[in-house]
Amino acid sequence: MDKMALMQWYLSEGLRGPELSWWVGLTGVLILLFALNTLCCFIDWIFRFRARWRKSGEYLIHLGFVLLVTGYTWGAFAGQRSEQNALIQGQTMAVPNMPGYFLRLDKFDPQFSPEGRPLDMINELTLLQGDQPVHSATAYTNNPLMYGDLVVIPISMGRSATGFTGSLNELGQISMVPGEIFRVRGMELEILEFLPNVVRRPGGVILPAGPNLANPAFRLRLTADGQSGEFWYLLREGLPQPLIQRGLRLRPANPIAVNHSLLTINRDPGAGLALAGGFAMLAGVIFALGSFYYKRSRGDRPEIV
Amino acid sequence: MTLDSALLYGSFTLYVGCVFLYLGHALTKKNLLHRSALVLVILAFALQTLCLALRWNTAGYLPVTNLFSTLFFFSWSMAATYVYFELRYRIAATGLFVMLLNLVLLTIAIPRDPTFPPLYPALDTPLFTFHIAFSFLGYAFFSMAFSMGVLYLIQRVRATALLPDLPTLRKLNEEAVFLGFCLFSLCLIIGSYWAYVAWGYYFSWNIKGIWSFLVWLFYGGMCHAKFVRRWQGTGYALLSIVGFGVVLFTYLGIGLLMSSNHPLD
Repeated sequence: MDKMALMQWYLSEGLRGPELSWWVGLTGVLILLFALNTLCCFIDWIFRFRARWRKSGEYLIHLGFVLLVTGYTWGAFAGQRSEQNALIQGQTMAVPNMPGYFLRLDKFDPQFSPEGRPLDMINELTLLQGDQPVHSATAYTNNPLMYGDLVVIPISMGRSATGFTGSLNELGQISMVPGEIFRVRGMELEILEFLPNVVRRPGGVILPAGPNLANPAFRLRLTADGQSGEFWYLLREGLPQPLIQRGLRLRPANPIAVNHSLLTINRDPGAGLALAGGFAMLAGVIFALGSFYYKRSRGDRPEIV
Repeated sequence: MTLDSALLYGSFTLYVGCVFLYLGHALTKKNLLHRSALVLVILAFALQTLCLALRWNTAGYLPVTNLFSTLFFFSWSMAATYVYFELRYRIAATGLFVMLLNLVLLTIAIPRDPTFPPLYPALDTPLFTFHIAFSFLGYAFFSMAFSMGVLYLIQRVRATALLPDLPTLRKLNEEAVFLGFCLFSLCLIIGSYWAYVAWGYYFSWNIKGIWSFLVWLFYGGMCHAKFVRRWQGTGYALLSIVGFGVVLFTYLGIGLLMSSNHPLD
């Protein structure tokens, strides 16, 4: 349930098993009614403030609860959650559910103990609106990037294949990563794209199928005799015809892997209201405790018999 | 035997001793036995505090990441709340019940593995320390309320001079619930903020989150129930006992028997 905002979960998952999820709706209605009741208590106290100001702590707790429930309800309806967003250093991705915004991972520095235990993940992140940076932050465990109702949290990390080492005719050892251009026998071979896992759809359309190295593919551009053509090279299918025809023996050997950061990217428009509720509750608890001991020290405790 | 083990066994022995002294006081009504028991409780609590400080210093973080250390910290919090009530109100024979409860916690803790597991990076924050400390102090006050509730019912049936009178027991019960509720509120506020910066949401539908909220609602309700005539006295004592059952389930039942984001082992 924590993977999605509550209403999104309820509509997509909850309604598929109403016999298991009925209590969520019921609980929601009861808590909203309870918050309404608490709000009435708070308003009643406001009108009697001069006589009951010494109960300020208790009523701040009431206000905090109302704000928290309101903030949560807002977030449950209008919030968005997205997990497992993999980014490698230098890569930019569109922020899920936030059109026009992009997230760039400027630097990724995983920290390990001498025994190899992961300690932290330092992510230098830049949020862009279009191509204009609007916010930068160093995000790591318990220190997310926050911008408005957006929160970006480094949750974990993994390894991504970005290409292969291999050989090409007389050039010997080469690194086959996007952007590399190889000139051999008067021809030019450019690596345009690398995908660690693809599927071939009917009609020959190649589509990405996830970050794990399973069915890797290169998109290549070959320029020879003043003509240029693009084609896919799926490693499991063997050398593509354009390379065979030109006598180019492109032989990938070992994958090149780099660390990637796994980010949770959530939006919660009610979070600010909930934070205000938390502060109200905190102030209320402190005030109520102080007031309690003050009243006790004066022997001022109404006995109810 | 390491120093922290020696301190642990030392405090356990002193707690056993004070239980016997409280028992002797209950049977003979000699004031000297009560005073001696109180001295032993304070000594045992001092040793337990030293042990906790030593373990904290060794680990580099508040050691509350497995069943042994949470039971130990729960026991320390209970002793602290008892010392608070005893020094403030001289609650005498109630100590027998509270210290027995404390001994149960230590008896369950001692055979378990006291070593420090490696700290998860997400736990390496002061928010963790405050969240846990307020949580267990809250639980300890709820345990105290439970003790007062049980003793209230005993006093009502037996009318013994050993225990404080009914209005005092009711007052102490209400104070324990109020203080526990305040501390548990702080635990939830800090925990929610921490969840937001660590996970991206401040309320988790994990079973621990739901039951912690229920504990908070229950004791929030109890803070109001003391103003309702039909819930005063016996009703309030019964509520304290039921509430402690909910606390035990939230702490031990979920931590040990179910899969949650607050595992104990």
